[in-house]
Amino acid sequence: MIKNIADRLLRWYCHPDFYPDISGDLEEIFLRNKERGVSASNWRHLIQVILLFRPSLVKDLGQYSLIKDTGMLKNYFKISMRNLWRHKSYTAINVIGLAVGLAAFLLINQYVHYERSYDSFHKDAGQLYRLTTDMIVDGQLKTRDAMSFNPSGKVITDEFPEVESYALTYNNGQLSLRKGESLIRESYVKMVDEHFINLFGFDVIAGDPSTMLKEPYSIVLTRKRAQFYFGDENPIGKTLKVYSGFDREFEVTGVIEDVPINTHYKFDLLVSISSIQQRLDDEGWNAFNYYTYLRLAPGTDTEELEKRLIPVKNTHMGEENRLFFNLQPIQDIHLYSDMTYEPEATGSARSVRFLEIISIFILVIAWVNYVNLSTAKAVDRAKEIGLRKVIGARKKQIRGQFLFESFLINLMGAILALLIAELAVPFFNQLVGDNILTSLYNNTSFLSRLGLFLLVGTLVSGFYPAIFLSNFGITTVLKGKFSTSKRGVILRKSLVVAQFSASLILIGGTFIVSRQVDFMRSADLGMNTDKVLGFRNPRFVGDDYEAQRAEMRSFQNALLANPVIQQVATTNSLPGGASNDIGSTSGQSRIIGVTEDIEATTYIHQVDDQYFDLLEVKFVAGRNFNKNLKSDSAAVIVNEAFMKRYEIQISDDLLNENLQFGSDPENSKYHIIGIIKDANRGSLKNSVEPTCYFYDPVLSRSIVKLSGANIKESIDHIEDSWSEFFPNSVLESSFIDERFDRLYADDKKFGAVFGAFSGFALLVAVLGLFGLSSFMATQRTKEVGVRKVLGASIPHIVMLFYREFVTLILISLVIGLPIIFFSMNGWLSNYAYRIDFPWIIVVLALGVIVVSAFLTVGYQVWRVAVLNPAKTLKYE
Amino acid sequence: MKKYQLGEFEEIVLLTVGVLYDEAYGVAIKDEIENRLGRKVSVGALQSALRRMEKKTFLESREGDPTEQRGGKPKRYFRITAFGKKALEYSKDVRMELWESIPDVALDVKFS
Repeated sequence: MIKNIADRLLRWYCHPDFYPDISGDLEEIFLRNKERGVSASNWRHLIQVILLFRPSLVKDLGQYSLIKDTGMLKNYFKISMRNLWRHKSYTAINVIGLAVGLAAFLLINQYVHYERSYDSFHKDAGQLYRLTTDMIVDGQLKTRDAMSFNPSGKVITDEFPEVESYALTYNNGQLSLRKGESLIRESYVKMVDEHFINLFGFDVIAGDPSTMLKEPYSIVLTRKRAQFYFGDENPIGKTLKVYSGFDREFEVTGVIEDVPINTHYKFDLLVSISSIQQRLDDEGWNAFNYYTYLRLAPGTDTEELEKRLIPVKNTHMGEENRLFFNLQPIQDIHLYSDMTYEPEATGSARSVRFLEIISIFILVIAWVNYVNLSTAKAVDRAKEIGLRKVIGARKKQIRGQFLFESFLINLMGAILALLIAELAVPFFNQLVGDNILTSLYNNTSFLSRLGLFLLVGTLVSGFYPAIFLSNFGITTVLKGKFSTSKRGVILRKSLVVAQFSASLILIGGTFIVSRQVDFMRSADLGMNTDKVLGFRNPRFVGDDYEAQRAEMRSFQNALLANPVIQQVATTNSLPGGASNDIGSTSGQSRIIGVTEDIEATTYIHQVDDQYFDLLEVKFVAGRNFNKNLKSDSAAVIVNEAFMKRYEIQISDDLLNENLQFGSDPENSKYHIIGIIKDANRGSLKNSVEPTCYFYDPVLSRSIVKLSGANIKESIDHIEDSWSEFFPNSVLESSFIDERFDRLYADDKKFGAVFGAFSGFALLVAVLGLFGLSSFMATQRTKEVGVRKVLGASIPHIVMLFYREFVTLILISLVIGLPIIFFSMNGWLSNYAYRIDFPWIIVVLALGVIVVSAFLTVGYQVWRVAVLNPAKTLKYE
Repeated sequence: MKKYQLGEFEEIVLLTVGVLYDEAYGVAIKDEIENRLGRKVSVGALQSALRRMEKKTFLESREGDPTEQRGGKPKRYFRITAFGKKALEYSKDVRMELWESIPDVALDVKFS
C-alpha cells in the first residue's frame, strides 16, 4: 500500500527521462532490503521517494509554461503598453473606473471593519460579558435593560465557578474638576470597582491595577488626561478637586494607557465606585442602575448559565419578580444591542451591512465596465489574435496575454485608487464622524487588501475577456468576416442593465434616506423649541434643600430681570435627548376604579409649572400645575400615549381620578389633573413614550425661552448671572433645536455616506457607458455616413441610438424597483414617524439615470453624427 | 576559475563512478560510497548529483538491459568523460597546491 503510493508519487513528479532507471534503482534497493529483513522497508522506500523531490529531477512545469517564457512576457508587455497608449481615452476610462471603484470599496471596507472591531481589543474579549436585565412577563420578553443591580456581580461570581471575575461600574457621565484657576468639564467619567482594570486588561502605566480603585475618592487618569492635568510631573499621590456633588479632593492613584475609541464604554477618568458606597448599600436589590461586566471561563454555555441564574434572582428578588439576568457578549453590544439605557448610542449592524453591499456593488460595476469595454473592443484586436494563432500561439498563451493586460490596467487602477483614497481620508473621517483613518501609506491592512483585490480584480475582470478573445477562429478573423457575436452583445447588454439597476437602487435609496431625515427634522414635535436654550443646573452638596431651592430661585429671578429672557422653567431632563435620560418604572399601573392593571414601562418626568407653558405644549384636558396649590404636590399630568395604553376615551371625566403604581397603597395618592397632547421628547425614531409628569419647583436642569431680540446679549446675560451665582460650576448650554438635530446625526451620516457612494457608483457606471457608447458609435461610423447620405438628420440618428438604451433602462427599472421598494420600506419601518414610500422619488432617481445616460450616449453619437459623410465613406 | 565547479559530494560521486568503471549504476554507486566512506546516501541526493553532473558533461550515461530483478526497469550506467576527468584532476591539483602551501610550522603546532 505505502509502496504503491510512493511509486505513484514518484511517477507523478519525476522527470520522464529519469523515471525508468531511478525507479529501477529504488526497486532494487527495496527488494534487497526486504530480503535482508530490514524493518519497515516500505517506509524507507517512501522516505527515499520523498527525498528524491529535487528541482533537478522534477518534471518541467509544462512545455508552454509562461513562467519560463520571459521573452514572450516582454512581448506581451510591449504590445499591451502600445495598445493602452494608442487608445488613451479607453484606457483612462478603465483605469479611472477601476480606481474609483476600488478606492470606494476599500474605504467602506475600512469603516465596516472598524465598526465590527468594537471591544475586540480587550484581553480575551470573547470571554467578557455584560450582565443585563430582561423583563419577562408571562413568558414574553418585554423590556431589555443594559443595566443590572449593584450586588448581582459579586453574588454570581461567588456562587458559580465558571464566572471568573466581575466588575461593577456606574456611568457617572460628567464631572467638573479644577485645574489651577479654571474649571474643567470632564464628559467621560466612569465609576468602577477595583476589578475593572484587570477584568478588561487595560495597560497600566503607573499604580497597582488591583488596588488603585479600591479606596473611596481615588481617581485614575488616562495618559492624555494625566498629561493635561499634571504635564510631565508624576501624578501619583497628587490630588484633584472634584465638584459636581462631591466638592472634595480625590487622590490620583494610577495612570493607564489611553483607551482605543472602538469601545462602547469610553472613559477618560475612572473614579472608585466605593466613593458612592452609601448609595450602593441603600439601593441594593431595589434599583438597577449599574453596568456589571463578567469574565466567564472559556467555553461556558451562556444559555445554560442564564437558566441557572434564575434561582439566584429568586433568592434575592423573590419568585414573582419579573426581572431576569441576561448575559450579553461585549463584542455584540455596539452593533447588535437594542437595549434601553445603553451608555452610548449603539451602531446598527444593518446599516453596516448595507454599506458593505453598496461597496460591493461599486466594485462590481467597475469590473463590469472593464469586461464590457474589453469585449466590445475585441474587434480591434481580432486580427492580432488571428495572426498570433497562425504563427503558432496557443489559446493558453493568448489568454495569458490578455490576463496580463488586465493585470496592467488593474495595477494602474490600484495605484490611482491608493492616491484617491489617501486624498479622501479627511472627507471620509468627516463623513463617518470618527477619526478612524490616518495615512494609508503605512496602513498595512489597507495595503494588503489593495493588493488582494488587485489580484482578484485581475482574475475577475480579465477572465472573461481572455476566454472570449482566445476563442476567435483563425480563418473567420483573417478573412475579415469577423463581427461581434450575438452572445457577446447580449452579455454586454445585460451587464449594462445590471449597472443601471444598481445605480438606480443606490440613488433611490439616497433620496429616500435624506427625505426621511428632513421629515424628522422638520416634523411637528408637539412643542415649540424655537429660541429655547437648555442647560444643566449646578449640583449642590449637602442636604439643605431649602437653601438650595432659594438659591436657584434667586438665580431664576436674576435671569428674568433682563427682558431678553422671556421665561424660565426647570425639569429633570432636557428635550432632545435619549429616552433614557429620565427614570422609568416597569411595574403595573392603573387608574383606580376606571381600568385594570396593565404592565408596561412608564416614564417619569419631573417638571415645574412653567415647563409646558414655555414649550407651548397643548392640553387636551385639565390644567397645568399651579405652584400656589398645595395639593399639586400630589398631582400628576399624563400624556395621551399613557392614556391610549388603557384603551379608554380621553375626556374630562378622567380628571381627578387617582393613579395606582404597583400595589403599595402609598403609591395611590396621585390624582390626574391634566392630559397633554403627545410631544416628542426624543428622536422621532421612537414613538412618544407613555409618560407621567410630576411637579417639583426646582430640578436639575433649566430651559430658558429667549425673546429673540438679541441672541448674543441673551446668552451673555445668562453666563454673567451664572458665574455670579455658581463660580464653581461650568455652564454648558445648547439650543434645544440643536439637541434635536444631533439626535439625527447618525441618520444624516448614514444618508451622507449613502449619497457619496451612490454618487461614485453612478460615476463609474457612466464612465463605462461613456466608453461603450463611444465605441459603438465609432463602429457604426460608416452606417451613420450612409444614413446621412440618404437624408437622415442628426437628431434622427441620435434617436436611433437612444432607442437601444431606453429598453435597457426600462429593464433595469423593472429589476431595481422591487428591490428599492422592499429594502427601503424595511429601513423606514425602523421609524415610528416615517414618510410613506415616496414613488415620486423613484421617478426622480430614474430621471437622474436617464439624463446621465442620454448625455453620455448623446454626446458620443453626436460626435460621429456631425462628421461629414464624404469623409467617413471615402476610405473605401 | 569557475570552469570546473565541483562540490564535495559531487567529487565523491565522480570518483566512485571512476572506481566502479564499467559497473557504475545507481545502486552500485550508492553501496560503494556507503561502504567506503561509511556514510548514508539517499537515492535523491545521489541521483540529483548524477543528473547535474551529466548536464555539466562531467558524466555520460548509457542504458543497460532491463532485468527481472528490478521490476523490468533498465539500469543506467555512468562513465566519466574526458572533461570530467579534467575536473577531477583540477580539483586534485588545487588541493595538492594548497597542501604544499601549508607551512610545516602550522601543522606542527596543531600536534603539540
